[in-house]
Amino acid sequence: MDRTISRYLFFRTLYEPKVTFEVLAESDPSAWKVFSGYSVWLLLLPPVFSWIGAYNFGWRLGAAEPLMLATSTLTLISIAYFLTLLFGFYSTAVISRWMAATYGASSSFGRHAALITIVGQPLAIASVAHLFPNVFFNVLVMIPTMLWSMYLLYSGIPIALETPPERGMLMASSLVGWLLVAAVSLLGLTMGLWTAGLGPALGV
Amino acid sequence: MTTQQQYYQDEVVKRLVQFSVAWAVVAMAAGVYVAAELLWPTIDFGQPWLSFGRLRPLHTNGIIFGFGVSALMATAFYSVQRTSHVPLFAPRLAWFVCYAWQLLVLLGGLSLLIGWNTTKEYAELEWPFDIAIAVLWVSFAIIFFGTIARRRIRPIYISNWFYGALIIVIAMLHIVNSLALPVSLTKSYSLYAGAQDAIVQWWYGHNAVGFLLTGGFLGMLYYFLPKHAGRPIWSYKLSVISFWAFTYSYIWAGPHHLHYNAIPEWVQSLGVVMSLILLAPSWATLINGVMTVSTAWEKLKTDPALKFIVLSLAFYGLATFEGPMMSIRSVNVVSHFTDWTIGHVHSGALGWNAMITYGTFYYLMPRLVGTELYSTRLANVHFWLALAGTMLYIISMWAAGVSQGLLWLSLDDTGELAFGFRDIMASMAPYYGLRLVAGLIFLGGTLLMAYNFYMTTRSRTTVRVEPPIVDPAYGVVT
Amino acid sequence: MKALSLHKKLEENSALLIFGILLVSAIGGLVQVLPSIYQESLRTPEDGTRPYSAVELTGRDIYMREGCATCHSQQIRSLVAEVERYGPYSRAGEFVYDRPFMWGSKRTGPDLHRIGGKYSDDWHRIHLIDPRSVIPASIMPAYPWLAERPVRTDDIQAKLRGLRTLGHPYADEDIDNAPAELEGLTELDALITYLQMLGTGFDESAAGEGGNSP
Repeated sequence: MDRTISRYLFFRTLYEPKVTFEVLAESDPSAWKVFSGYSVWLLLLPPVFSWIGAYNFGWRLGAAEPLMLATSTLTLISIAYFLTLLFGFYSTAVISRWMAATYGASSSFGRHAALITIVGQPLAIASVAHLFPNVFFNVLVMIPTMLWSMYLLYSGIPIALETPPERGMLMASSLVGWLLVAAVSLLGLTMGLWTAGLGPALGV
Repeated sequence: MTTQQQYYQDEVVKRLVQFSVAWAVVAMAAGVYVAAELLWPTIDFGQPWLSFGRLRPLHTNGIIFGFGVSALMATAFYSVQRTSHVPLFAPRLAWFVCYAWQLLVLLGGLSLLIGWNTTKEYAELEWPFDIAIAVLWVSFAIIFFGTIARRRIRPIYISNWFYGALIIVIAMLHIVNSLALPVSLTKSYSLYAGAQDAIVQWWYGHNAVGFLLTGGFLGMLYYFLPKHAGRPIWSYKLSVISFWAFTYSYIWAGPHHLHYNAIPEWVQSLGVVMSLILLAPSWATLINGVMTVSTAWEKLKTDPALKFIVLSLAFYGLATFEGPMMSIRSVNVVSHFTDWTIGHVHSGALGWNAMITYGTFYYLMPRLVGTELYSTRLANVHFWLALAGTMLYIISMWAAGVSQGLLWLSLDDTGELAFGFRDIMASMAPYYGLRLVAGLIFLGGTLLMAYNFYMTTRSRTTVRVEPPIVDPAYGVVT
Repeated sequence: MKALSLHKKLEENSALLIFGILLVSAIGGLVQVLPSIYQESLRTPEDGTRPYSAVELTGRDIYMREGCATCHSQQIRSLVAEVERYGPYSRAGEFVYDRPFMWGSKRTGPDLHRIGGKYSDDWHRIHLIDPRSVIPASIMPAYPWLAERPVRTDDIQAKLRGLRTLGHPYADEDIDNAPAELEGLTELDALITYLQMLGTGFDESAAGEGGNSP
């Protein structure tokens, strides 16, 4: 991956997102290089932080005693978390490219992968909150982070994918629709697996 | 035939829009108040009429029957005239329905505060009100179908099928579910008891959501989205298939409100299967909407209200996906009785119903009085407030609901319950706080809209619009 | 396409459209709702289940009036954790005299289906008048007015007669004596009487393995 891009992505998005998007529009990075040089490391942050946090503090869903799990369980959970994020990242980039034709956007897969990475980066960094695995605390941290990510999505698509602002707005909204569905599916899938026995004991 | 008959009846449309906005403010304020009561229960000040149990149905009824039905009547009257190319049938009846309905909602709301409550959800009003609802609803049907019968254009446009389904199915549901034996002027006992009543109630309750909150508003979508976008609906065939599949399958989904309850298992399972099947026609409509608006992107430059409709489609997609998902038993085990259900309701009510209504009203109000919207800047601010309020509501209730559901079911190593009910619910307070903030944000946006409309319509009269000449190729030979 | 040309006929005839909508939408209800109306197991009371007495009915109507069902469910699901927390899961036969049903759809407070006999009358009295004096973190509203209001005695006979018309087996003496039974009671007394009988009409040892499986 172009070193210029990586420098921008890491720091510059935080204070000059527009410039980053413009640089991205001028390049067509290789999707593999984006992924291996940058995305995969961001995707690793939440599972690693949650493992450390759960190991040291235990899960707290809000009531009384923290739940301490065996390290083997924690490792399995973190691996599943990573695979889920990987699937989410890849599917969102693919869907984004699939939508590109409808909204007159660039269809360079590398650009889509880079854009999704930039949009998800604040969430990956904010996952440091997993070091203290209290649900409400994490929700509180994630909400403003998510607002920032959505801002990056809406402002980034028109510039990075070179499409008129209105079409970019529509495409961003469609992606938000997909992300909402993905989020609730994750919720449902987790609940379904948990009640089927994959998790701490539930009296069902 | 007086000269008045040559103009569309839009004054009554404007009045209904105004009432709808007024109810949105009142009922959402009630919602904010009950949300606050869940944090500070003493703010009922020992008054029965401010108590949570009496205020909550005021919120739900005010939204559904006040805000929702007024919006549906307004947009149905507006669109049925224009798709039939004739003025409204029985305009004096329309005026009567307009004002009588508002009186019904007002008096009904007051009756709930007094405590005349059947406790059947979204059917809490006692039998005198049920009769009044039936009378006014039949009147609504007469006006609507009367206009269609009088139409000068042969095919009945699809938005009218959805409004028609709203009218017919709600009539069927309301009449059957409300059957009760009155024992006094203010008290009745349900014709159905126990498990039978549960099945009838949720046949009604789910389809009140299905045909009022979904079907009716899809009628709104099918008329106003193409108008807004300046483009026809993307696929006619898709709309035909999705309408009939929708009307058929929604009805069956009621039992998913009763999983692991004391009703026959085959009824529960049928509810699951049909809820999942329902996903198809719901999303067919979503695709139709998204593809229609994607071809009309230039309009976003000059029409910020189109943003409301765009996001309403995203939330429609979420809610119509989440519903079938929550009807699966292994998910429902966790979600039933929790705040997740509340979150699901509000992702639909705020994200879909309110947003598409707001987008439609922003289109409609200025046109009704023949001018531009007073402030597009305020409309833009409103959009971001509505989006923020909806997202915050959903996230806080997902977190609360999943936490409650899992904690209620948690067992410790010895197989005993791991947590006490009181402790679990006490830890929900922070989420209720977030939800209160979400409600305040959403209400704030709504107030901006009310102000915007007031300034737009102030000292202006409703524009008189003549029905156009009909192309004989599409006309009805009268 | 033949189907679409058939549909064009529907689109151009409002009567056909109305009839079509009614027909299509009625099917689901007929299949799901109608059988339940006639299903014996849903209409047969459990062994210990009986119609509400005058005082209990008055209490139940107060429960409805105050919107208690908004926060409290009365339906214990056939799940291990629920049975552990609340008692035997709810059977259909326990609700045959419930008009309307109050299974609830939200638990802001605990399920109350088997609350009968779990707490003393005095506990309920103090709790209803001020929940926070018993449970400091409670968000339940207080109901002090219930202790101050006497129950209405003028409508109980009409209520019982109405229920008898609907099939509840009340004897003439039940109806005749009803106002006397309510004499001197406050609304709080009636409500507590209702709460104390909830769920007591079920003998688990006598019941078979019926009901739903998880």
